[in-house]
Amino acid sequence: MGGVTAQSVAERVPTDEASADSIVKTHGLTKHYGAIVAVDSLNLTVRRGEIYGFLGPNGAGKTTTLRMLLGLIRPTAGTSVVAGAAPGSPASLARIGAIVETPAFYPYMSGYDNLRLLALYCGVPVKRIGAALDQVELTPRARHKFSTYSMGMKQRLGIAAALIKEPELLILDEPTNGLDPQGMADVRNLIIELGKGDRTVLVSSHLLGEVEQMCTRIGVIQKGKFVAEGTIDELRGAATLTVRAEPAETVTRVLTGEVGAGNVRVLDDGSFSVKVDLKRSAELNRKLVHAGADVTELRASERSLEEVFIELTGTEGGL
Amino acid sequence: MIRAFSGELFKTVRRPAVWVCIVVLLAVAVTVGYAIPWLIYSYPPSGSSQGLPPGTTLADFKVTLYPPNFVRQTLQQWSVLGGVFALILGVLLQGSEYGWATIKTLYTQRSGRLEMLVGKVAALEVVVLVLVLALFTVDAAASTGIALIDGQSLSYPDSTVTAKAIAAMYLIFGFWSLFGLVLATLFRQSAMAIGLGLAYALVIEALIFGLTASLVPNVVNPIRQWFPLTNATWLANSFGQARIRGLQTATPAPYADATHAVLVLCVYLVAFAVITAWLLRRRDVTS
Repeated sequence: MGGVTAQSVAERVPTDEASADSIVKTHGLTKHYGAIVAVDSLNLTVRRGEIYGFLGPNGAGKTTTLRMLLGLIRPTAGTSVVAGAAPGSPASLARIGAIVETPAFYPYMSGYDNLRLLALYCGVPVKRIGAALDQVELTPRARHKFSTYSMGMKQRLGIAAALIKEPELLILDEPTNGLDPQGMADVRNLIIELGKGDRTVLVSSHLLGEVEQMCTRIGVIQKGKFVAEGTIDELRGAATLTVRAEPAETVTRVLTGEVGAGNVRVLDDGSFSVKVDLKRSAELNRKLVHAGADVTELRASERSLEEVFIELTGTEGGL
Repeated sequence: MIRAFSGELFKTVRRPAVWVCIVVLLAVAVTVGYAIPWLIYSYPPSGSSQGLPPGTTLADFKVTLYPPNFVRQTLQQWSVLGGVFALILGVLLQGSEYGWATIKTLYTQRSGRLEMLVGKVAALEVVVLVLVLALFTVDAAASTGIALIDGQSLSYPDSTVTAKAIAAMYLIFGFWSLFGLVLATLFRQSAMAIGLGLAYALVIEALIFGLTASLVPNVVNPIRQWFPLTNATWLANSFGQARIRGLQTATPAPYADATHAVLVLCVYLVAFAVITAWLLRRRDVTS
């Protein structure tokens, strides 16, 4: 795998440059519930301005981590800095908008009144409510009671609530949970919009496809431990070139000579898998033909993120 | 602090359950405290004088319903039963945060947990004050109405006595409301908190001390003087009782005076607030 491995993530030492650029930084963040280790020595860095996907199967420790970042749960060990301050401190919370699991509001009040309430708590002008409702396209139902909302409307109200502080950092925990396909697409597009500009979005999900569509960088968590972190390209690793040609001796000689023995593998069906920059495909083809090989197939192969995820977590859950 | 208080008050006054609670208590206070007794005293069933001292009839009891006695009546009738409604208010305001999982919404806004608690307690006590003032108001109105129907004079207790009685009831209801708040925080839900609160209010303390005090009064009474219901009752009784013609209604001397009762109730108020704050600060929010 060409991405960053679990080992290299664990060993990564925070640099001053990275700290200055990061809006979330944890070091050895750990949470135990008795004998159960929910989160284990997590070193997470979310950079300013990115949409960071926090990916893992159900029960991997995503929500527990996000709750620790919001000060809802006290870590057993480790430290973290969120939006420049300790998690859960007023200074940190003032700069964060968040949804943790299902958005929770007062059922006897309208969506609008729920947002007015949060505006009072946060000391933000009431005029921001209209803009937030417009942004999530909930204005027509804003005066209806929250208890009458569909799951999709509840999620959208949750996002509106997270937006009224005009936060630097949005923390969204499984924001498409319980939504129908159209609702999921709407929320995904909204998150992509929200992530434009300087705002940072940290979004957790167990759905690989949506993380792939939304996020610029991904961290994969499994059983409380970070197993990989990087951009989608980094996680997928380098593309490979599949070569089917004969005679094998000639093909092996040419390929190892061009890309090195370590980058050439003979597959079960007799074809060759070559780790190489795909821009060199035509060149390799010419050299094979020039050396007298009969090339019958030359195909670029790229691992899907799904394959990477299954390899990392050993699960197909949620994919 | 102001932000937290404003928010708590905003959502509390919009909650129908809060107003239902207040209106039910007021309706019960008028019907059970005045309307039904007046009907019984005015139209006594045959044989109802049995058991009363010679020369006394049920009609003599109507004096308790007239304005001079409304302050005593309010205190003595509702310090426990009305307190249950204050308990329910305390439970509702805190327990629902767990039931609706809104506690995580609250704690991810801007204020710290203690600040949010202070805001909630302040909003709760505003509602309790409204409840107390409304209770005295409807009792005053009911006693006035009955006095007018019966052609009695409209003389009211001294304003100082009335103010003290309102303060005493506010303290008693304040105790109940914070008792509800601490129970809801402890159990992180409303049902258990209301159930245990009602059991304590209506059964536990009265039953335990009722049974044991007759057996070993010298042991039980010194213990009892530190319990809340006993002190709430003493405080209510410290305003005296109605004088009914033909009856010797000497109030049994309380074991301790009103000052003692006020201090004990204040200690409970502070203890409940401290326990609630401690629980909220140290617990993880996992709902």
